[in-house]
Amino acid sequence: MADILTELTPIFQDVLDLPDLALKRESNATNVEGWDSLAHVNLVTAIQQHYKIRFALGELEDLKNVGEMIDLIETKLKAR
Amino acid sequence: MNEYRWDDLSVGLRHEFEVTLTAEMMSAFARLSGDDNPLHVDADYARAAGFPGPVVFGLLTSAFYSQLVGVYLPGRLALLHGIDLDFVKPAFVGDVLRVSGEVSYLTDAYHRAELRARIVNQDGKTISKAKIRVGLHER
Repeated sequence: MADILTELTPIFQDVLDLPDLALKRESNATNVEGWDSLAHVNLVTAIQQHYKIRFALGELEDLKNVGEMIDLIETKLKAR
Repeated sequence: MNEYRWDDLSVGLRHEFEVTLTAEMMSAFARLSGDDNPLHVDADYARAAGFPGPVVFGLLTSAFYSQLVGVYLPGRLALLHGIDLDFVKPAFVGDVLRVSGEVSYLTDAYHRAELRARIVNQDGKTISKAKIRVGLHER
């Protein structure tokens, strides 16, 4: 399976308009500039469209950082 | 005015309407925006620049995307989140524009819709195209 963190980095850079963003598993809305609620919806939509997967609101509410998002993406990709 | 709720929306749902560009719209938009660039307000200048008349403000035509979202799709409950917009060809006073939009994607978790929208003139030429992100507000 491709490195999801590497794949997510350009998506986050584009949506957040941060071309130099070094995305990490520990990244979250409190330590990444511009990751507000509207940007969050844009990120989730972009990730869904990139991987052709769907998140339920309950799955997203529990995520604490990018690492947990990656784990959720992997789970969904394996389940396909 | 339409009043679509989240469960009413589906990919492919489409609305469109027509509007004719007028000189009054141009003068009103120039006042509102403060943009008095001669390409938009000086016919001689516009002709010298190779256009048949003053070029209609791109953001004037894109204002009809606001009507598309706020009146038609989803209508009353719309909360506009953002627009990615390209101006493809110039428009002129007297043009009859057909504004259309279609639901292209639904983000169920956050009740956010994406619309693919387009404005086409009376000759079938695309004036602008847009990807519109819209949610629904509570009431």
